Formats: sequence, C-alpha cells, structure tokens
Amino acid sequence: MTYSELTRRYFDRADGSGVLAGARAVRGEAGSRAQGTWVQFDLAWRQAGAPGAVPAPPEIETARFLAFACPHTIAVASWVVERSVGRAVSRSLVEPVQAIARRFDVPVAKLGRLLIVEDAWARAAAALIAAAGTGPGDSRCET
Amino acid sequence: MNLPVYLDYAATTPVDPRVAAVMAGALTADGVFGNPGSSSHDFGLRAQEWVERARAQVAAAVGAAADDVVWTSGATEANNLAIFGVAAHRQSDGRHIVTARTEHKAVLDPCRELERRGWSVTYLVPDRSGVVDPAQVEDALRPDTVLVSLMHVNNEIGVIQDIAAIGAVCTRHGGVRLHVDAAQSVGKCALDFAASGTDLMSLSAHKAYGPKGVGALLVSQRRRVHLEALQFGGGQERKLRSGTVPTHQVAGMGAAFALATEDRDAVAAEWRRIAALQERLWRGLEAVGGIFRNGAPAHSVPHLLNLSFAGVEGESLLAAVSPFLAVSTGSACASATDEASYVLRSLGRDERLAESSLRFSLGRPTSEVDIDRAIEIVDHAVRRLRAIGGEA
Repeated sequence: MTYSELTRRYFDRADGSGVLAGARAVRGEAGSRAQGTWVQFDLAWRQAGAPGAVPAPPEIETARFLAFACPHTIAVASWVVERSVGRAVSRSLVEPVQAIARRFDVPVAKLGRLLIVEDAWARAAAALIAAAGTGPGDSRCET
Repeated sequence: MNLPVYLDYAATTPVDPRVAAVMAGALTADGVFGNPGSSSHDFGLRAQEWVERARAQVAAAVGAAADDVVWTSGATEANNLAIFGVAAHRQSDGRHIVTARTEHKAVLDPCRELERRGWSVTYLVPDRSGVVDPAQVEDALRPDTVLVSLMHVNNEIGVIQDIAAIGAVCTRHGGVRLHVDAAQSVGKCALDFAASGTDLMSLSAHKAYGPKGVGALLVSQRRRVHLEALQFGGGQERKLRSGTVPTHQVAGMGAAFALATEDRDAVAAEWRRIAALQERLWRGLEAVGGIFRNGAPAHSVPHLLNLSFAGVEGESLLAAVSPFLAVSTGSACASATDEASYVLRSLGRDERLAESSLRFSLGRPTSEVDIDRAIEIVDHAVRRLRAIGGEA
C-alpha cells in the first residue's frame, strides 16, 4: 500500500492523539477493535459570544482522538481534530466524507472506515451540544 | 540516503557477487553464449557443459541425482509441473490429492484448479505450531489418492515438516507420490532428496542468493516417477519442459546452490550465527510486551521469525516500520486477495493477530547492528500505535 504525502504526514505525526478530561469535555466513539477500525473523539468546548449577547453555538476549544485503525483513518482523524479547533460545533465533519477521501487519496474500498470517523465525530458533537445546552455538569459520553 | 534495514530474505535474496560473475560468463560474445541445445558446434557444446555442471551442482546440494533435475522458471512452475503433471499421468489410477491449508499459493491454487476439474483434494490442518503430523497424512490417504503435496519449510512461519516420515507413509501406501515444495530450504536447513523418500521436489534459485527466474523440479529417476509435460516445443529437459535452457540462469543457480552447501563447516557456522541473531531479535522484541510468536521454534529454520503484535492495527504497523525496515506482513493490505494471512489463521490466530503479524527473515548480510536497529524501529512503532489506539 502506498500513501499520499498528506496521508503520510498526518499519519506519521498523528498530532492531536490523546484524551481530554474535565467538566467541559465530551466523548464520542464508533467502530470496534474486533472489526479492525475504532475511532474516538474527545471535545472540550467554550461558549462563544460576549456575555449578555444572543447565545451562539458552542465552539470547540480543544479536540483529541484515539484510533485503532489503518493509516488513512488515523491521518483523517488527526486532520479533523486539527481543523475543528476554534469552529462552532457541528455534527458534520469539516468536509464531506467524499471530499476528505479525495483529499487523502483514500481507496474506495476504505470509504467505510471514513464513515466510522464521521460517526464518531457526530456522536462527540451530539454529546457536546447536549452538554452545552444543559450546562457543563451534564457532559456525557456518547457511544 | 539511508536504505531501510532489509529483513525479508525469505521473499528474495540478493545475487551473490560470485554467482553474478558466473552468470556474466554465459551472456556475451566472449563468454558461453551458445544454445545448449545446439550440439553441432562448440558454442552449443560448451553451453551444454555449463548446464550439466549446474545440474550436477544443484543435485549435489540436495542429495539428488543429476538426472533428477528438470530446469524450470522457478518454484511456482515446478509446483505446477509436479501437481498437474502427476495428475495428468495418474488420473486413471485415482483423482484424489492430499495437501495442507498452510501451503504456498503455488500449490493451493493448482489444487483448487484440479478441484474445478473434478478432482478431490484433502486440505490438512496442521497443529497450532504449524506441524503436519505424518499420522494425519496417513489418515487422509484413500485408495484413489495419487499425490501428497506438502512443503518442507513454511515460507511464513519457518516450520520444517518431517518429510522423511511423510515420505515413509507414502512409500508404505505404494503408488502415492510425494511432492515437496522446498523453495525455502536450500542453505537454511539439511535437505536430502533421495533419503527422504520424496518423489518430486520444487526448488528456487532466488531464495538462496541465486537469480530470479530459474528453479528446478526434481523428478526421482530411482523411484521411477512419471509425469506429463505441461508445455511443448523442443523437447528439452527429457521432454518435460520444452524451451531453450537459459545457460546463465541455470549456471547461476548451480553456483548459488554450491556456495550454500559445499563448505559444510562454513554453512554450520553461518546457521549458528543466524540463530544467535534471531534469538537476539526475539529477546529484544519480546520486551515490548503483548507479542505472540507464530510457529514452533524447535521445529523451525533459524533465519525466520514471525510475530503477532497485540493492540496494533496491521496495516498501520507495516506503514510505521516500512520507511525504515523491510519485512513482510500478514496484513490484508499487502495481500492480493485482501485477506489476512491464511497461514496464521489456519493455525488458529484470530483475524486481528493475523493482521498484525510481521515476518522477519535474516540473511547472510544481516548483522547485529541491523537486528538492534530493527528492534528499535519496531519497539517505537508498536508503542506509538498502542498510544494512538488508547492502549498505552
């Protein structure tokens, strides 16, 4: 298997791997090690906008990932984490899966693995939205 | 530029410079370039001498008679010639073959093709260490069995089968021919074609510091083995393998096999050196933890070590080490069939451990520095991937 320069760079560095803890940290995961691909995102949030202003969607302050996965999946998870910091939270990835697949030259046979990345992200984002909407004390883990 | 450490000598070896020098002598106008089939002039006769010298060298290296040697393009062709050749010759006696699930594809695929043609094939399952018990072979034999095909040294895990005991079983059941794929054996362990009771044996040059593109099928004349040819047009090699014999290739194979076996003291010393390096590699990697050794060290060649690494994904493991270390993997990403090593799965390894296996195979150029570097590379990659996977 050969990899694009971008995939190789993000896989080799795997920046953003790890976990987050604390009241404003939430988690989402998808896939399974037994099936060969498992991805987890941890997100910490902050409330955007000035005090007293109209409430804005929460922003992602910090993000981390863990992955038992192929190099393409690890590279994409690392890239997603990098791109998400400072953005308003959304259940969607920063780009559609098809666009990410093209960006990283992911083989068609592996698109299912990117859907696992997407699922893990959506669950983490949903947990964040729920936690931000009801207060930091209600953060929870989505699986 | 620093080349990766090469520990994939079971895949192929570099041609020994002494072998390359011999081969060069049979290529150009100032060398032995004649067609060995041209007996009407000195050019051809000299080439014929070289071919016959190589035939004698190959035979001597494996305990065969020179007349047993049939040149082929490699072990894959030899396996095909043995299996289809015996099947064609013996089909009126029976249409059943015995082999093992852990054989090379060059044996399994011809067997599957015969199944498509109406033959019956029994696939033996070795024990968890990869060893086929001769009693399993005996139990699998039927009145219509005409061929048993089992490898000597397994290419993935290095386990050596007791072909003499299996040969004795086949001999007791008169009429059952034994074919042995010995592509991985020469120069790695003792091999005696005549004493093993083997009828047919496949050999490869490029696993033993010879050139790619040449091999041989040993067809025992003493045991009066007969088979049908698969290709026609010239009648070379006792009409079993038509086509001009490539003098430079077979001369290279002969020289390589002679170098690998002639000096018994040097060969024994090299086996001890390689065994010590393999032990150093195993001890170094064992310290990483969560590592499973595939195969049985007591029944294996010293130059090959196959390990599964728990807690890491196979393709990522290979991707992490491959810029620095050339090894083979059981991962599906390196497989043409998109499946994890069928050999390791046949031995009971689960899919994940079969995927996360690496085969380290050592060779003449391998040094302690290479081994220590390999340990460092794998240790770093495994720890890093386990951390990324949350298993640190």
